Amino acid sequence: MGFSGCQQKSPRRLVMSPRGSLLFFILFLINIYAFVNCDAGTSLASGEQVESPSLAWYPSSPADSFVPLSLMSSFPEDLEISNYCLELLGLFSQRYSDYVKCLVPAARPVRVCLKCYSGYGSLLNAYTNISSNQMGPGNESCRDSLLRSDRLMLVYVLFSNMQDLWEKSNCDFCITEKFQNVNNETLNFMKNLNQTLSCFEKYQQGNHTELCKNCKSSYKGLNELYSKMEKTLCIDVEDAMNMTRILWSKNFNCSLPRDETVPVIAVSSFMLFLPVIFYLSSFLHSEQKKRKLIQPKRLKSYTSLMNIQDKQS
Amino acid sequence: MSNITKKVSWSSRGDELGAAGEGTPLLNGSEQPRHSRQVQLSLDYDNIENQLFLEEERRMSFTGFRCLEISRWLICGLIGLLTGLIACVIDIVVEKLAGYKYEAIKQNIERFTEVGGLSISLILWAVLNFSFVMVGSILVAFFEPVAAGSGIPQIKCYLNGVKVPRVVRLKTLVVKVCGVICSVVGGLAVGKEGPMIHSGAVVAAGVSQGRSTTLKKDLMIFEYFRRDTEKRDFVSAGAAAGVSAAFGAPVGGVLFSLEEGASFWNQMLTWRIFFASMISTFTLNFVLSIYHNNTGDLSNPGLINFGRFESENLNYNLYEIPLFIAMGAIGGVLGALFNVLNYWLTIFRIRYVHRPCLQVMEAMLVAAVTATVSFTMIYFSNDCQPLDSEHAEEYPLQLFCADGEYNSMATTFFNTPERSVRSLFHNQPGTWNPLTLGLFTLTYFFLACWTYGLAVSAGVFIPSLLIGAAWGRLCGIWLASIASIWADPGKYALIGAAAQLGGIVRMTLSLTVILVEATGNVTYGLPIMLVLLTAKIVGDYFQEGLYDIHIKLQSVPFLHWEAPATSHWLTAREVMSSPVTCLNRIEKVGTIVDVLSNTSTNHNGFPVVMQPAKLCGLILRSQLIVLLKHKVFVELAGSRLSRRKLQLKDFRDAYPRFPPIQSIHVSQDERECLMDLTEFMNPTPYTVPQETSLPRVFKLFRALGLRHLVVVDDANRVIGLVTRKDLARYHLGKYGLEELHLAQT
Repeated sequence: MGFSGCQQKSPRRLVMSPRGSLLFFILFLINIYAFVNCDAGTSLASGEQVESPSLAWYPSSPADSFVPLSLMSSFPEDLEISNYCLELLGLFSQRYSDYVKCLVPAARPVRVCLKCYSGYGSLLNAYTNISSNQMGPGNESCRDSLLRSDRLMLVYVLFSNMQDLWEKSNCDFCITEKFQNVNNETLNFMKNLNQTLSCFEKYQQGNHTELCKNCKSSYKGLNELYSKMEKTLCIDVEDAMNMTRILWSKNFNCSLPRDETVPVIAVSSFMLFLPVIFYLSSFLHSEQKKRKLIQPKRLKSYTSLMNIQDKQS
Repeated sequence: MSNITKKVSWSSRGDELGAAGEGTPLLNGSEQPRHSRQVQLSLDYDNIENQLFLEEERRMSFTGFRCLEISRWLICGLIGLLTGLIACVIDIVVEKLAGYKYEAIKQNIERFTEVGGLSISLILWAVLNFSFVMVGSILVAFFEPVAAGSGIPQIKCYLNGVKVPRVVRLKTLVVKVCGVICSVVGGLAVGKEGPMIHSGAVVAAGVSQGRSTTLKKDLMIFEYFRRDTEKRDFVSAGAAAGVSAAFGAPVGGVLFSLEEGASFWNQMLTWRIFFASMISTFTLNFVLSIYHNNTGDLSNPGLINFGRFESENLNYNLYEIPLFIAMGAIGGVLGALFNVLNYWLTIFRIRYVHRPCLQVMEAMLVAAVTATVSFTMIYFSNDCQPLDSEHAEEYPLQLFCADGEYNSMATTFFNTPERSVRSLFHNQPGTWNPLTLGLFTLTYFFLACWTYGLAVSAGVFIPSLLIGAAWGRLCGIWLASIASIWADPGKYALIGAAAQLGGIVRMTLSLTVILVEATGNVTYGLPIMLVLLTAKIVGDYFQEGLYDIHIKLQSVPFLHWEAPATSHWLTAREVMSSPVTCLNRIEKVGTIVDVLSNTSTNHNGFPVVMQPAKLCGLILRSQLIVLLKHKVFVELAGSRLSRRKLQLKDFRDAYPRFPPIQSIHVSQDERECLMDLTEFMNPTPYTVPQETSLPRVFKLFRALGLRHLVVVDDANRVIGLVTRKDLARYHLGKYGLEELHLAQT
């Protein structure tokens, strides 16, 4: 595949995230496919938006996207895509780029669910429009023409990437249905988290023992709340808790100290001493089983071992 | 004479001969004082072709034989089914109880980590272990000592032809199952796999007889199978079913049975054994799938589940083969060390810790110490790992780790051994740091070595695998850091486990297949085989396998595959026991009773002679007792015409617990009567001339499963009798052929 060959090269050559280059390239291909009728300006704009974090790409991109366009020629009428479908595609493209634009800055610390859930909702909406069986104005379905007419199945792949991302981050667990809002449990957790973090901030300066003492209750409350929440949590909550824990245990060193070494050693050495006593006493006091050797009954001349040895030598 | 003496016992070692003069000789130990009257007998695998037998065979129709064949298959199916169910019961109960135990301790530890007082958790852990093991140990020590250990040595002996007393009784099974549950839940360094083999064998012996003498229930079915030959076949099927339930390895089970009892084997039997194995692993699978709420999912064979080795990283390359072989050598050395230590420990136990109450105390102490050592290790471990959602730890302990992390020492110690093995195989690289693994290997090695041989029923498979997996993983980590080749530690853990297990038990083909089947990956066949091969070669250089050591120490006249190498110059005349107590063909009842009740000689087979001393048959003690019981005297035969003739059925009904001679009352008048043995004796016993060499005699015994071999001179006069014990005493030592001394307990 020429496509994949090019895509593999780019991360090595250029300092750019694979996803960014992929996105750019994909959008670039949309341009090719949707050639003349397409509003090239919009597509290009979205391409620029996606790849804007990487400066290395910027100068070359306009040239890359324009040269092939001029080489394309048009297909006959009946193979072309209706305006209705192109509209849907444009909407999808717009929402896709919005969502990605929201996602990337939310990568660290992870807030992909809480910040971008509405973007995902509208993206899902746009995709549903494309993929639904519903007939458009010209009694045509865009599903086949947009999703399945080539081996690349670009729109589908793009969307399923985002869907995977959404599912992997378990975002459904902190967003209410229909992507309306963040659910109460998560809000509550975030409130607690903010309390704890502000407490950390307050005592951050100077001695950490102070912090450990004063923030313990709020931290413990947060910890308990976290463990009481459902088993699967969205990545935002999980990550926030992880970070807080790392702050607490590693940065501020508030883990429990190992201060009971003496009693533990005492009890264990007592336990370890018991078998010694047991074996010694059974060695000294238990009567040993004695063995009586008995000679097998044989013919007189063959009884002893001496005989064997004699015969061997 | 058939039995050289009553209460014969075996000294195990050749090199002990020298020491026997000055020091106190070793003693044989398996027999408890109160059981010391038990004699190690042999099984009668040879068919007694007397007239009764011939008559019965003549009466039996073609369909009768068909029915027999069908009922053999039926029995094998039943054996598989019941063995699988027993395995399920053990598995589920262990899982539940261990779950409660670890949950309780975990909560306790969590509470005390914060407020202080962790030594209380330590005591709680020790006490819990202690009490479980106490129950198991009391059961074993006071009720059924033969259920101690893994039972594999006993089954090996049984299949070899030695009648280990009470080894296939129902009571033994009950004690074994309860004992295993207690000892695994009690946190000892043991597994539940070895005992499954014994359990399967007991099930087989019980089912095939269609009755239980313990419960005094006779279903009146399968009467034809009430003799040693048939029972042995079923017992081998049961052992195979046990292996297959334990490891999910049906083929391994069949091969295990073949390896241990191969001299009596044929194609149809193997096929039936395989059937039993299949049924057993299927049953276990099915019932466990119901238990785990995914009925019909048949992909969990076996009690121990190694998990799936399917990742692409687990391929191996040619350059790794030498590494595997080196690991095999390490396994052999460590295994030999294990065996030597356990050997000395067992001798100490035999000498000094032989009273049941002492044995119980010892087991309890081991349990407490195991808990203590584990706790101390966990307490002082600094190895913290982040919690991982994919390999969710069953009971993660945080202790002094940062929040969100768990103590990785606790994954190995604070868990049932099976789970620890699995996590060593499959947890991703970096789950343990090398120090943790090293310490774990060291402590677990000694704990396992100390534990094996206690009066609890428990197997050595899992501890060996665990030790091996730990140091194997260590090797993997080390290789990855030294050679900068990317080695998956899980793969090396598997190889290490195979090496360690092979180094300890020294089984060959069957163990390879068992491991391959348990791994579920045929690609590992070659490395596992190479590793086991090396481990066996290296280990045998130092010390025998663990089971062989214990067979020797239990003073069992075990016949190995071959006679000692340099024994061709020994003739039957030198080996045999002489003089022989013979009976006349028509013998006075008084004489027979006297011979049988002579306590100084406890003979089991009596050559029947015609005057003067010409051999015409062989009769067994059990037959004579049945004859006496039914008063088959010549004088009475005429007077009671209506009385029905004695049939083979009467002999079978008394099998396998023939009454002792003391319980049979013979009046003074009856002592003067005569008994005609012609009908009942085996008219064609195997005989050898007196110049036959020892290996020849040995081969006859090993291949035919003989119990008595009459030595005759050219005039067919009885001059001696060779039994299993006369053969088993010869032994190839450092200074050539040595004769072991018999000991009396």
